[in-house]
Amino acid sequence: MIPALAIQDLGYAYPDGTVALHGITLSVAPGECVGLLGPNGSGKSTLLRHLNGILPERLPGTGGAVAVHGEPITSANVAAVRRQLGLMFQDPDDQLFCATVREDVGFGPQQLGLGAAAAAARVQSALEQVGLVHLSHRPPHHLSNGEKRRACLAGVLACAPSILVLDEPTSGLDPRGRRELIALLRGIAATKLIATHDLELVVELCPRSIILDGGRIIADGPTTELLADEALMLAHGLERPHILQHRHPHPAKD
Amino acid sequence: MTAIFFPSPAQSGRLLRWPAGAKMAVALGLVFGTALVPAGWVAWFEVVTLVLVAVMVLGKIPPGPVLLRLLALSPFVAGVALAAAWHPGGTLDWKITALRSGLCLATVILLAQTTPFGEMLAVLRRARVPALLVTTIALMQRYLFVLADETERMGRARASRTFTRGRWFAWRTAATVVGQLFVRASERAEHVYDAMCARGWR
Amino acid sequence: MHIPDGFLDAKTALATGALSVAGLGFALREVRRELPPRRVPLLGLAAAFLFAAQMVNFPVAGGTSGHLLGGALVAALLGPAAAVVVVATVLIVQCFLFADGGVTALGANIFNLGLVTTLSGYAVYATVSRLLPGLRGRVAALAFAGWCSTVLAATACAGQLAWSGTVAWSAGFPAMAGVHAFIGLGEGIVNALVYVAIARTRPDLLPESGVPADRPARLREFVVLGLLATLGIALFVAPFACPWPDGLDAVAARLGFGHQAVGVLLPAPAGAVGALVAFGLAIGFSRLVVQKPPAGAADSA
Repeated sequence: MIPALAIQDLGYAYPDGTVALHGITLSVAPGECVGLLGPNGSGKSTLLRHLNGILPERLPGTGGAVAVHGEPITSANVAAVRRQLGLMFQDPDDQLFCATVREDVGFGPQQLGLGAAAAAARVQSALEQVGLVHLSHRPPHHLSNGEKRRACLAGVLACAPSILVLDEPTSGLDPRGRRELIALLRGIAATKLIATHDLELVVELCPRSIILDGGRIIADGPTTELLADEALMLAHGLERPHILQHRHPHPAKD
Repeated sequence: MTAIFFPSPAQSGRLLRWPAGAKMAVALGLVFGTALVPAGWVAWFEVVTLVLVAVMVLGKIPPGPVLLRLLALSPFVAGVALAAAWHPGGTLDWKITALRSGLCLATVILLAQTTPFGEMLAVLRRARVPALLVTTIALMQRYLFVLADETERMGRARASRTFTRGRWFAWRTAATVVGQLFVRASERAEHVYDAMCARGWR
Repeated sequence: MHIPDGFLDAKTALATGALSVAGLGFALREVRRELPPRRVPLLGLAAAFLFAAQMVNFPVAGGTSGHLLGGALVAALLGPAAAVVVVATVLIVQCFLFADGGVTALGANIFNLGLVTTLSGYAVYATVSRLLPGLRGRVAALAFAGWCSTVLAATACAGQLAWSGTVAWSAGFPAMAGVHAFIGLGEGIVNALVYVAIARTRPDLLPESGVPADRPARLREFVVLGLLATLGIALFVAPFACPWPDGLDAVAARLGFGHQAVGVLLPAPAGAVGALVAFGLAIGFSRLVVQKPPAGAADSA
């Protein structure tokens, strides 16, 4: 089967010489949900910004390749790749750049060149999916953090991507906002790659996890096994999540 | 100074539902008329005053903030009054000037209070204002609150670690805040560009 | 310096409006052609930056405080055409969203603060920073540019008020130019301090020298916009500053300016002396703020 996402020996150094990624190789099968863990500065965000060709476009990397559904990303097909792969950024204020929520959710469909009616239908269904129809006329500035995240998610979903890449989706959310977002993510069928510090989210959503540190892949395997390995977790700035401490290492069923 | 007067056009009332283009056209008509009609047209000023009062009543707009904002005009009016007093030979009646300014100001405030900014932008787009300008205005309006919040936070953080030093120090710190603000705005511009590209822009 | 409604008459509003539309239109065209796509969001963010920066208070004396005008600073950071778009955007939003500055005076405000400050500021900055090398030279250039742009904008403003018959030139010009010769010192200092602060944290955001690499484009936009600004200033100020006979004189007389002599005799020598003093101060100031090595200088005060 062709993997949804295949990264082959990807390396990257910033112009100031800082090496952010060393020979990253991994692949994600269609429909899989993978957690990407690692301390701050481990290269998670740098890696994610390679997946839709944003970073290489600005500053050429140091080799390696990223393929989406078997197609290596080139400058010729980067636009098509961005239709397949929805990226949700860490700071919702970066992502919600339009005057109102509805306008923002409609940005993607408009860029896709859908007709007005088709675009409006996409926007409406994305807003319904995240439960924000009643706030769609609001300026993003007047939303709570949880509502902002959901608006960002609606903006990505409106483009109907087959792969969803999320950067720290639950950071800065209160427990209820976090719950709602996790429930939402569980209901989305797309292939998912989630970079996060929220280990309980990983336990709940991602059967497989990858640990990144110093720009290298340290571990790649079943989430419950990795997270239960206390020595491994502590060595890479993480910790064994609380919910695993009272359970046997079987995957959480829900 | 403008920060105090952030408008809040979320007021209820039927005025909010009127088409934005019509409201803008009426407001522009009132402002241009009031600013430019001869000083002798007292009836015009009376009619405009009545219209504005009617809008305030219909839109259920509290008069407090509007009056407060009018006060901020006073230094400019005082300056002109002073200059007029200095030159008694001049043709200018500073009271009429003050009246014109006050009425125009009230008109613009009421427009901002009854019309969401997004709708005004849509009118500009339809009126064929260059897209780059409309985009820039829209982005500015979206991020000015974000940056204003950041300014405030940086100012507070600085103040909580500053223990009354000289004016020179205050200037340096304020300038550092402004410099930092530019750095953050530039970084955010890059992120916004990334986010636009991620959703298929260009 | 935001002129409210009611202070300008129809002909002044029309003339300034036409000049501003022409200037802004040209600047937009240049920006669309020259700016790489990934810098487009920067225009809106820079406008939001300028707005927020103007909220930061610089204490003066007796509880009063001033704030940044920013035209020269933005021009030095982004180039003249982008700066025109940015400052005009700020003025448009201030006018309609915050009722700061009149609608009929929007043209005049965009002309004074959007065209005159950015272009005079850029001209002075580019010229002086070529003569004086290094970061210190650029800081001195920007400080002086801040002063010049403030005084020139105030002069244009006084000209428009006089042309409208609101404030006589003989009263308005000395008052505006005099006050702004001092405000301009503050503007210059703030511009320089902000530039130094950026140079310390993210020097990569600053253009390397006064005249960046894309020179032909910059030169064209600068010459065209500069001509517009000069034309406008000449239009508003010349009737009062020059002892021209007949027509213009008659206009002035009808509008009731008796004290022409003050307006004619004062500007030239006083302006020259003021500019020299400001230039000297700018150079001295740049030596004061740029001398320590960048490391360890942060927060050492």
